[in-house]
Amino acid sequence: MAIFHTRAATRRRIAAVVAVATASVLALAGCAPGSSAPTTTKSTAVTTTLTSKKVHLTIADETGFPLTDKLTAEFTAQHPNITFTVTRDTFQNLTANAPKLLASSTPPDLIRLPMIGDTVKDGLLANLDPYFAAYGWDKWSASQLAPLRVNKDNVRGSGSLYQLGLGYSVTGIYMNTKLAAKVGITAPPATLAELESDMAAAKAKGILPLMEGDKDGVVNFVVQAAMNQYADKTQMMNWIMNVKGASYNTPGNVKGADLIRKWADAGYFPSDINAIDYPTFVSRFQAGEGLFTFNGNWAAADTQAKMGNGVTFFLVPPATAGAPHVAMGAANSFSVAAKSAHINEIVYFLNWIHTNAKARQIVLDVTGAAPGGDPTEAQPTAAPGSLTEQALKMSAQIGSENGQVDFMSNATAGIYAGAIIPESQLLVTGKISGQEFVTKVQDFYAQELAG
Amino acid sequence: MIVNKSEVVIGRIVLVIVLVLTLIPLANMLSAALQPAGDNPTGLTWPAHPQWSNFVTAFDTGHVWQLMGSSLLIVVVVVPVSLLFSTLAGYALGNLRMRGGRFVFIFLILGLTIPFEALIIPLYYQVQAIGVLNTQWAVILPLIGLYMPFSVVWMRAHFIGVPRELSEAARVDGATTLQEFRRIQLPLARPALSALAILLFLWTWNQFLLPVVLISDPLSRTVAGALTFFQGQYSSSIPLLNAGALIIIVPTIVVFIVFQRQFIRALLQGAVKG
Amino acid sequence: MTTSIAPRRAAAHSAARRGTLVGWLFAAPALIAYCAFVIYPLLTGLQYSFYRWNGVGPSEWVGINNYVRVFTDPDLLGSIRNAFVLIAFFTIVPVAAGLVLATLIRSMRPGFFSSASQTILFLPQIIPLAAAGIGWSWMYAQTGAVNQLLSAVGLGSLARPWLGDFQTALPAVGLIGSWVLTGLCTVLFLTGIGKIDPSLYEAVRLDGANWAREFVTVTIPGLRQEIAVLVTITIIAALSSFDIIYTTTLGGPGRATLVPGISIYRIGFTQSEVGLASAFGIVLMILVLACVLPIQRLARVSDR
Repeated sequence: MAIFHTRAATRRRIAAVVAVATASVLALAGCAPGSSAPTTTKSTAVTTTLTSKKVHLTIADETGFPLTDKLTAEFTAQHPNITFTVTRDTFQNLTANAPKLLASSTPPDLIRLPMIGDTVKDGLLANLDPYFAAYGWDKWSASQLAPLRVNKDNVRGSGSLYQLGLGYSVTGIYMNTKLAAKVGITAPPATLAELESDMAAAKAKGILPLMEGDKDGVVNFVVQAAMNQYADKTQMMNWIMNVKGASYNTPGNVKGADLIRKWADAGYFPSDINAIDYPTFVSRFQAGEGLFTFNGNWAAADTQAKMGNGVTFFLVPPATAGAPHVAMGAANSFSVAAKSAHINEIVYFLNWIHTNAKARQIVLDVTGAAPGGDPTEAQPTAAPGSLTEQALKMSAQIGSENGQVDFMSNATAGIYAGAIIPESQLLVTGKISGQEFVTKVQDFYAQELAG
Repeated sequence: MIVNKSEVVIGRIVLVIVLVLTLIPLANMLSAALQPAGDNPTGLTWPAHPQWSNFVTAFDTGHVWQLMGSSLLIVVVVVPVSLLFSTLAGYALGNLRMRGGRFVFIFLILGLTIPFEALIIPLYYQVQAIGVLNTQWAVILPLIGLYMPFSVVWMRAHFIGVPRELSEAARVDGATTLQEFRRIQLPLARPALSALAILLFLWTWNQFLLPVVLISDPLSRTVAGALTFFQGQYSSSIPLLNAGALIIIVPTIVVFIVFQRQFIRALLQGAVKG
Repeated sequence: MTTSIAPRRAAAHSAARRGTLVGWLFAAPALIAYCAFVIYPLLTGLQYSFYRWNGVGPSEWVGINNYVRVFTDPDLLGSIRNAFVLIAFFTIVPVAAGLVLATLIRSMRPGFFSSASQTILFLPQIIPLAAAGIGWSWMYAQTGAVNQLLSAVGLGSLARPWLGDFQTALPAVGLIGSWVLTGLCTVLFLTGIGKIDPSLYEAVRLDGANWAREFVTVTIPGLRQEIAVLVTITIIAALSSFDIIYTTTLGGPGRATLVPGISIYRIGFTQSEVGLASAFGIVLMILVLACVLPIQRLARVSDR
């Protein structure tokens, strides 16, 4: 190909080009990339009264979760001078872009931010402490807000408030009651052992015990649910919050991961699990495939609509009968950009979501999640006997048993895509042991926190 | 050419099989797109009641008008500007052959083999520094630069093939370089330019990595870059997802079918001649 | 004599100088765009690769540490290995298939069937790769057409979720590449064959050579240049694949289809390790050059 034709003379010219390039790199190397100091939040006078001026707010959210559409519409109906634009992208893209979006010259005012990562350290998020005092959020559930705090050492769990939740989730097990009747199951299992014998019974009858998908790593709901019943909850929380010295490599976690390997070997998962993504396994469960599925309260309303009374929702049972329940749950966390020009307005909106009766009802109706806020405030209403009502009860029970842990995939920005997804895909197909899973995830975590 | 009969028959069968294999994925997308939107279709089966309305639904929920507009804006800037820059440079290197031209040529050739992935990280911070991140300009500006190696080499190949006597005759008649370029060279370069235009159109329309990384709002991306948004939007409906993907494919097929003759011919000349 | 020549020489000289000036002016816009958006990012990428930087905060000089990690991290090395496996599907299959198909089409009378074949074969080349990825994920699904076809011919036991299976995911993704690139190869080879002297074909046929012999002794040698071009283009496509993987497997299951493009995207954006991602980008570029340059050299040697 003549396009690539080179002669001896031109090869000398290439050498010259390379030399020039190298020289300019050496020149560039003198100055390091990036800012030397974190940008400081510009101070805005904190106010809890809403402006009467026209203000346009922007929100970056993930696709498939219409909650922000409904809430912004209702807010604009109540306050016509405030309008919104909501942009959406997949979870994968949004989490990859979030820090860069926040650092850009035109950040969204509010952003769905599942992983805080370095964003606080780099001064990208607005500190909500002044509003905490101004609005009196001390009446709200402190344990719900704790994971949304970050301290000076970039450890979550304490320190200043940087996020609020648009609904607070709880996870559990959905059971197809029609299939359960066929297998002879009359009540939700009370222990992990009962859960296992239920699955074995289903398998014997040719019914798929667990409808799960792991193309996008969602089987980690099951993995962590198993770990939760064996592991020390505080250790797991510390690890997720990046407390120094916390390790994932604990006997409880290994035991939980081994249980998943055992279930994989027993054929409890669908054979094409690594080709099934979240929406697919949800719709396949709703279509009647699989006895159990592990999912969160956000799927309650939709599942009810599709399956009617043929489904029930309950907390993952503990390892020993009567032990307190432990379940993953987290705020559907949103952060305000430090560079936002409308911090007062967007925080007013956040406070409104937690306190306005209509907004709280929207949160429950759309997501099935508890709206949070002041526990003494009137709870939104759910239809009696509905999955949503069960979900609310589960939230309350976990609250009273103090059994909430965050999702392990929220531990660091990269751990989900970099370790949990690929390693869980190996685990659920019986390619690695529980110990290998735990070790690989911990190695990745240590390297990411060091890097 | 003398070919015996059995060879012809076997050859035809092989060819037909390959053609069918080539078309199956597209046909399969169409058959899936026409199933009822709430169904989980199975394999390649023509639906009893084709749901053409899925395309309308996919069009609306996918905000396809907005996406096409955004794509078009990017194409309308990138393609003409790239054509202009590369024609000028191709003329300089292929016809004027100025001193140092060989050096410029080699310098550009180096760029031909650089994968976009190797540049995407620094491009991100560069575009951010310019202040156009998350706008269409974040894709437009880098694409023009990234297209230069191929486009200039392509146009240079054309201009080298034009007999130099033409230029000399024009200059004897007292034409300036610019006049000669406009009156004589440009009309001759038409086929090469139109093929390059089609290529650049397809590459820009299909560009995925740059828009996904450099524009956070999927609705400001190219349609191909917005496919991830489609995946999120229609994730629970295989029919709608396929309908959305087909809507994005159609413009490229139309452009190709309309221009294919000059496109394939010029592509071949360009790539082999150099 | 000398007096009359001197001015003419001077005139020619100044014309050449004018040509040089105008030439550089003409080349300037392209060069500026190229330097601004290819060379400059390349150099800054090289610079980043020596730092530890999260893209926002302060950075720290770490020397060649990032390169050491690229060459010692088994996951990153695995993604490079996968990219080389893809060469089999992006390069060898399409080039071989293209050679065969081109000779087949050429053996037919020019007409509707032959031109329609070219158009159809070329179609996959022009549609967005990302869209092809979506269509093919559906083909490969448990309930997709591939498994349907297998059960129809009695091979139902082979049915599997092709993209979710550790053994088949990489070849399955690779075949999408074969599907895309075969048309390009066929069409390019067709023109190449058109330029081969027909008397060469007649000569071997008169010698009683069959189709295969003719293919090896006339067609392949006559297409050396085209083969070099296509091998170059397709190797670049294989090593820098991104769109297809992104819309089909995202590197899974496990890391079975992880390729450098996806790794760079993930490390640079999801994990915010800009230095490591930049170093991997530079390594990828060097890998491409290391594969492509010898092909150019080989093509030239065999030209002689």
